[in-house]
Amino acid sequence: MSGASTTTTATEHSDGPLKRFLTRPEAPALIFLAALVVVLSVVADGFLGASNFEGILSQVVVIGIIALAVNQVVLSGEIDISTGSMLGLCAMASGTVAVAGGGLLFTLLAGVAVGALAGAVNGFLVTVARIPAIIVTLGMLYALRGVLLLVTGGTWVTGVPAEARVLGIGSVFGVSLPIIVLFALFIVMELVNRHSDWGRNVLAVGGNRRAAMLAGLPSRRVRFWAFVLVGAAVGIASVIYIGRAGSVQTNAGTGLELQVIAAVVIGGTSIAGGRGSTLAALTGAVLIGVILNGMVLLGIPGVWQDAVLGALILLAVSTDVLRRKLLGDKA
Amino acid sequence: MASADNGMNGDGSTSVERVGIFALSGATKRFGGVVAVDGVDFDLLEGEVHALVGENGAGKSTLMKMVGGVHAPDEGSVEVGGEAVSFASPGEAEGAGIAMIPQELDLFPELTIAENLFVGRKRPRTRWGGMDWKTMKEEARRSLGSMGVSLDVGATVKQLSTANRQIVAIARALLGDAKAVIMDEPTASLTEREAEKLFEVIADLTASGVGVVYISHRLEEVFRISDRITVMRDGRHIKTAPTSDLDSDELVRLMVGRELKELFSRSRHETGDIALETRGLTREGEFEDVDLTVRRGEVVGLAGLIGAGRTELAQTLFGLHKADAGEIRIDGEAVKSLSPQKAMEKGIFYVPEERKSQGLISPFPISANITLSILDRICRMGFVKRGRERETAERFAASLSIRGAGMDDPVSRLSGGNQQKVVLAKSLAREPSVLLLDEPTRGVDVGAKSEIYRLIDDLAGEGKAVLLISSELEEILSMSDRIVVMREGKVSGEFERSEADQEKIMAAATGTKAGQTAEVREERT
Repeated sequence: MSGASTTTTATEHSDGPLKRFLTRPEAPALIFLAALVVVLSVVADGFLGASNFEGILSQVVVIGIIALAVNQVVLSGEIDISTGSMLGLCAMASGTVAVAGGGLLFTLLAGVAVGALAGAVNGFLVTVARIPAIIVTLGMLYALRGVLLLVTGGTWVTGVPAEARVLGIGSVFGVSLPIIVLFALFIVMELVNRHSDWGRNVLAVGGNRRAAMLAGLPSRRVRFWAFVLVGAAVGIASVIYIGRAGSVQTNAGTGLELQVIAAVVIGGTSIAGGRGSTLAALTGAVLIGVILNGMVLLGIPGVWQDAVLGALILLAVSTDVLRRKLLGDKA
Repeated sequence: MASADNGMNGDGSTSVERVGIFALSGATKRFGGVVAVDGVDFDLLEGEVHALVGENGAGKSTLMKMVGGVHAPDEGSVEVGGEAVSFASPGEAEGAGIAMIPQELDLFPELTIAENLFVGRKRPRTRWGGMDWKTMKEEARRSLGSMGVSLDVGATVKQLSTANRQIVAIARALLGDAKAVIMDEPTASLTEREAEKLFEVIADLTASGVGVVYISHRLEEVFRISDRITVMRDGRHIKTAPTSDLDSDELVRLMVGRELKELFSRSRHETGDIALETRGLTREGEFEDVDLTVRRGEVVGLAGLIGAGRTELAQTLFGLHKADAGEIRIDGEAVKSLSPQKAMEKGIFYVPEERKSQGLISPFPISANITLSILDRICRMGFVKRGRERETAERFAASLSIRGAGMDDPVSRLSGGNQQKVVLAKSLAREPSVLLLDEPTRGVDVGAKSEIYRLIDDLAGEGKAVLLISSELEEILSMSDRIVVMREGKVSGEFERSEADQEKIMAAATGTKAGQTAEVREERT
């Protein structure tokens, strides 16, 4: 009898597909992105076209890959703002290995290892030493840049050989390789986020850490691995970065950390944790790319860039609040 | 049951004609497509206690929020002092003399009592424009004094017991010269003795002409202190009558809309081996030298006042805190360095008292909340098997009669009672052999309560060991095979079911001789 009543009430309360879509965290960003693409296609010459789209995506690959991982940290109720300096350090490490003739594999390994190590330090300080993540990663933002400057003495790495630049400039079947990497990582993260044990734990810990602990979930381990994941993602992104640039400056990645956070938040992942999606991070990154591209095409001066991005973040957060009010979502 | 010393029950028949404070007529409120309150009439007179009862989700709080300025009615009217009003905010309602004290108190834990009382009010200023702390403290003292309470107004609210926080919340309402005070489940987190103190305060309030709306699930309290009772069910007004015209059985029938033969269900079971045992278990400042045994198939009630260390003990048994001394034995085997994960492996599961903050992941759908504790069992190679998950969730939802929303809907859509069943389902999914239930029926409606009692009985029947922490004496007395009482961190009494009664338990919990009324103790910090 109770089984029957569960099913009847289920149909009673079930929402239509439209409402289901609108309750998805990335819905406002997706709608905004679609609207923007339509508008730009009409008003901006040269916007509509495969090569421009490819250009936009290439531009956001580095931010996008890192955002996919930072998204998990944010979902777990933490934050990571150390990724800018981390990218610089990883790029320096992978660049050095590449120049020394390490080939693609060892270049990649070097970047991922350095990133994962830096991420593990973040994770350790947050989960074991219990220092708030914003403080830890702010400290690491400066510390990693400091390490980079001390180790290199301010010199650049130049002349990255072609075989190590494949991830940055290569292409497969006419599609540029960095974009393939971005989408491959998106699919992996989507699977992990929605279907894996760890992904579920991340959402649970971010949604209500106390309840997650009382259900026996390893809250610290879950968050630790999220930070390590960011490091690994930064490592992969660093190889794309050196592939594209062919050289590494000591200021590589400066300011990147906030663009990454912006992508995650604009996409619709709640900064409070527990609510969001992988698609949100990707959508946010692409949206940023489209806006920057549109501004260039429309001839809007570069000085407007920060103002527009800032406005977009505020708009994204306000529409999310408004939407949840309208949909009566108490969560 | 309703106690004999019924001193505060106003006698409706002989009282003089009372003046109305506020009245709602035909009040209707919809949320989306759901009608939460449907054409309800309700009024409050000066100096009366008007109890508002009904199951969770009956619309009691929503109705009162229309008077309190939280919601505007979609239809119908609100009158205060005979004039139609429409409050745009709780502040406006407070200005008109209507104060709401919500279930979850809206106090500021880091501020002092005096500061809390003046939040949102015009604070007195000194001649130089600074804060006039002296006046504020005096007024705070006066306001608390008018309720016969003396607390250090310079103490921060976080240091206070739940009961005293409740009193501070009332004092805050009175400071604004409230004519009507609406209390939503004020005793939900109070022990009986703390509740006594609250009843005295309510008696003082009504004696001075203040009207009190009293929302509660505890029917004995309702019978004891109210002058009139209004019953709501499914958003509709069912009945308003003088308290003396109603009895407990009829009230329950009106509330649930069906005859409820037996609220408690407890059948006799054979008890088996000792499943959980502690020897001299101690955690500095929380509990001391606790010896406790729970056998298979046995329900052991853990009674005591709030702050007696019961929750801390249970959480230590679940490995959330480390014991400083003593040992824990599970199935006769001593365990060291327990963690929640390890406790779960050993078959222990703790069901927390705070549903929202400790039990549920509110953004998660119902199904994911149920399977939270068994994710590792329904995973293959680190990936969740959706079929297994759904099947498990549906099985438990059916066996616990979780009703009100679909498996994929957010858990926040369910009523309190059904949310509590989700929390229980989560722990049962783990198939524990020892269950530590911390106030499993707090803030749960009568119907869900009776279902939870039946569940506890079934679990014992299946041979599980149950430790039931409860501040409701009736619940402890009806459900337990054996009752252990704690006071100030120590075991102060242990009774077999047959020899226990309310007086003995209260005496052990408060440290007084049976029958002697305890003075309200000084605040422990």
